[in-house]
Amino acid sequence: MRPYELCVESSLSHLAAIAEFVADGARQAGLSEEEVFAVQMAADEACTNSIEHAYGGQEGEVRICCWAEGNEYVVRITDFGRPFDPDSVPIPDTKAPLTERNIGGLGLFFMRELVDQVDFASDPIQGNQVTLRKRRHAEF
Amino acid sequence: MKIETTHLKRCDLVALEGRFDSNTAPDLEKVLRDSMDEGVYQIVLDMESVEFFGSAAIRVLIMAYKECRARGRGDVRLAAVPDRIAQVLDLVGILPLIETFPDKTTAVGSY
Repeated sequence: MRPYELCVESSLSHLAAIAEFVADGARQAGLSEEEVFAVQMAADEACTNSIEHAYGGQEGEVRICCWAEGNEYVVRITDFGRPFDPDSVPIPDTKAPLTERNIGGLGLFFMRELVDQVDFASDPIQGNQVTLRKRRHAEF
Repeated sequence: MKIETTHLKRCDLVALEGRFDSNTAPDLEKVLRDSMDEGVYQIVLDMESVEFFGSAAIRVLIMAYKECRARGRGDVRLAAVPDRIAQVLDLVGILPLIETFPDKTTAVGSY
């Protein structure tokens, strides 16, 4: 598949369109429907982070770029808002009783659980980039 | 995304349809808050037609569950959870804690 890119304004109302875009690319890359769902959800969480935390309600651009690399489908989400430090996010306690749950950190938790690799990079020129890699398991 | 609440004798049945992401989770929160503000703390979420349930929706679910337990000794129960959504809820350790039922009739009847 050719790499392709979607640029949207920083608004949660674009999440549904982003999900469709990521899923289309994942199907082209040959991912199973289960894998498509997983990478779509991870990308949704990454974009939500950009919109809610990096831009924090301010105007800005979120770029989503998808491509296939070997047997991997790669989604890179770029924003130019506040840099994100994944180490500052608490790890949710998935064993605690619900009445004692703190409800932060779920988005990052899902990103890490649902794809095979997540990388964060911040650069004043390149912006903040989250790169999600999902391996294709099906044989063709 | 669509949300429809039916008031039943022992609980509110809330039917969900479509995507529940950070954009639409506030709508879910409002509907559940309406039930709780009316003094209903036994709520069944019919998940049969849910396509997506992200972290923001899960936060709303946990919030409503906690509040139902704390304010009315009730809870939130789930009906007809699609497999993919069940896997996601399982990842965060919710499924063993929130009661789930194969269909809405059984879930409503459990109260």
